[in-house]
Amino acid sequence: MKQDFIKFPLHLIVHPFNGFWDMKYDGKGKLKVAFTILALAILSITLQKQFAGFLVNFNDPRYLNSLGDIVGVLFPFLLWCAANWSITTLMGGEGKFKEIVLATAYSVTPLVLIYVPITIASRFMVKEETAFYYLMLTIAFVWFIGLLFVGTMTVHQYTALKTVVTMALTVVVMGIIVFLGALVFSMFQQIYEFFYNIYRELIFRA
Amino acid sequence: MAAKQWLLGVAAASLLFLSAAPSPVSAASSSTPYESYNYNYWEEGAPSPAAYVPARTVSGTDLGVGSFLEPSDLYTAVDGLIYVADTGNNRIVVMTDEWKVDRVIDSFENEGKKDSFNMPSGVYVDELGSLFVADTNNGRVVVLHKDGTLKLIVDNPQSDILAAGFKFVPLKVAVDKAQRVYVVANGVYEGVMQFDSEGSFIGYVGTNKVQRDYTEIFWRIFSTKAQKAKMVLFIPTEFSNIDMDHKGFVYATNIDPNSKEPIKRLNPSGEDVLKRYGYFAVVGDIRFRMSVGPSKFVDIKVMGDGIYSALDSNQGKIFTYDDEGNLLYVYGSKGNQVGTFKTPVAIDRSGQNHLVLDRGKGNIAVFEPTLFGQKVNEASQLHYNGRNTEAVPIWEEVLRLNANYDIAYIGIGRSLLMEKQNGEAMDYFELGMDRKNYSVAYKRHRRELMKEHFSSFMTTVVILAAVLAAFLLARAWRKRKPFVRAAAPQTKGGDRAL
Repeated sequence: MKQDFIKFPLHLIVHPFNGFWDMKYDGKGKLKVAFTILALAILSITLQKQFAGFLVNFNDPRYLNSLGDIVGVLFPFLLWCAANWSITTLMGGEGKFKEIVLATAYSVTPLVLIYVPITIASRFMVKEETAFYYLMLTIAFVWFIGLLFVGTMTVHQYTALKTVVTMALTVVVMGIIVFLGALVFSMFQQIYEFFYNIYRELIFRA
Repeated sequence: MAAKQWLLGVAAASLLFLSAAPSPVSAASSSTPYESYNYNYWEEGAPSPAAYVPARTVSGTDLGVGSFLEPSDLYTAVDGLIYVADTGNNRIVVMTDEWKVDRVIDSFENEGKKDSFNMPSGVYVDELGSLFVADTNNGRVVVLHKDGTLKLIVDNPQSDILAAGFKFVPLKVAVDKAQRVYVVANGVYEGVMQFDSEGSFIGYVGTNKVQRDYTEIFWRIFSTKAQKAKMVLFIPTEFSNIDMDHKGFVYATNIDPNSKEPIKRLNPSGEDVLKRYGYFAVVGDIRFRMSVGPSKFVDIKVMGDGIYSALDSNQGKIFTYDDEGNLLYVYGSKGNQVGTFKTPVAIDRSGQNHLVLDRGKGNIAVFEPTLFGQKVNEASQLHYNGRNTEAVPIWEEVLRLNANYDIAYIGIGRSLLMEKQNGEAMDYFELGMDRKNYSVAYKRHRRELMKEHFSSFMTTVVILAAVLAAFLLARAWRKRKPFVRAAAPQTKGGDRAL
């Protein structure tokens, strides 16, 4: 339990090459841990939006919505996994979908680890010190991207260059998926409208 | 039957009563023909009590001098006399603040001959009572003494920087303490024209910057010479009006729909020194429909103590700002009722009241401050003069009338900060969304707290450190023991084996 939930993620974020290797080949990654990390990330982002200090919190409290935060994390996450799986399948990646999910979710760990303490610390900052807040947020983000990079590289057994290309393509594919989704949605809406109009026509004639 | 009738009567009476009861309230709230609002921190137009309400209108016929014909300027002198440039009738109408005609100036003596105005569109009166008239179609500025005799004529400016054949068409005029005359002239893009007290041209002050339009530049790359010649030139916009504050700074407005700085405060060397410390730019409406467009300022009036009001001809609104560029209140609209405008062209004050000259209607609308408007003015004045503590009870009253008034929270916060009540100041700055001052207050508050609790904090730290040290020592000691114990049986076992 402690090994899965605490020790392994903490080991992974500081030793990503070993960590992701163990995750893939020694079966050390667990889906329940991955989802816990995601849940914690959602929680920490929500907490940050709500409780970050006045000097750094530019959110309009009237429009804070934790449902939005949930969607805002889960939707890109699933989109990334799906897009990454689609592209790596074509590009000879060795990773299974589960491994992609695991690698992506474990990469989010630094966000959780940094957001919570810096949110608390931001409440005790004056204007000149808020630079540290933004520095920490940047570190969290860069760390996350770095882990995602190593994770993708290890899971698919790619070279560094191929990983970069794949990640860029994944982002493009994410856009394509969203576009297709919108297209399908609008098409269904029009089909619905079509049948509804037929129905209305019949009603008025009868 | 009787009972039924009686019941019906009661029902009817109660209905009457119900409908009668709320009506005074709605009548009171709809007493202004416009909706009052102010922008909050989130740049939304939040409803606000009206700061000024229309009191009456004054037309030329009311004054008994015949209707105004396309009047275009209004000025209140230091002695309270109100001057109207009645452009279409070629005259200046002077009235008292009780709306009695003092005199009508339509001619003056020039070198022994009778001379008159031709479409005068700007008036200004200096502290000595001299009247400055921008005599537009005659291409001159006429200066008259208080008694109506001619003092000076400013015309035909001569300078190397003026193009040959330059035609002087003055529209608006203002004068500073050193008797320098500032003129906004038609077709002059270089800035406000400045003349000395003798009437000779000195130069320009405060040029408007040219706005770059990148799409235009992009198209220009692909166009032929003939096409380029047909395109609009990149020229700075003209100023639309000017006013002078007591320090001799020129407040100027310009009509540039894309400008972020339609209002400027020019120092003597012509630089813009307007303070813009508010949440948003000093541009009038920050949210507007695309079909309506941004505010178009045609006049500005310095109300004193750093407060200035600008008149937006596009939507017929008056925007009043304080010294730091905070929007104090907005009122007015376009329409046909009393208190709404057709073509507003000039704004001035008479005591506490605001006067707005409407060219389309040919009348002057008089606006009286409400309690809210009075209190806001009063508190802003006190704040401008550095009397923050005295402003606090007034700000509190403002907040009682409008709890959304951010400037009041900031004002109270500042006073508390001066009195070193940093914790309370923080609360007020947070309500007013003033992060900069909040940070200052918090820095002091944090230092105070640390000073206050330093001894108890250090005691706790020392005790905790001691406990931790003891714990670590104990653990180390306990760890060592089993090692010794474990070593002993091993040797024993070894003995046995042997």
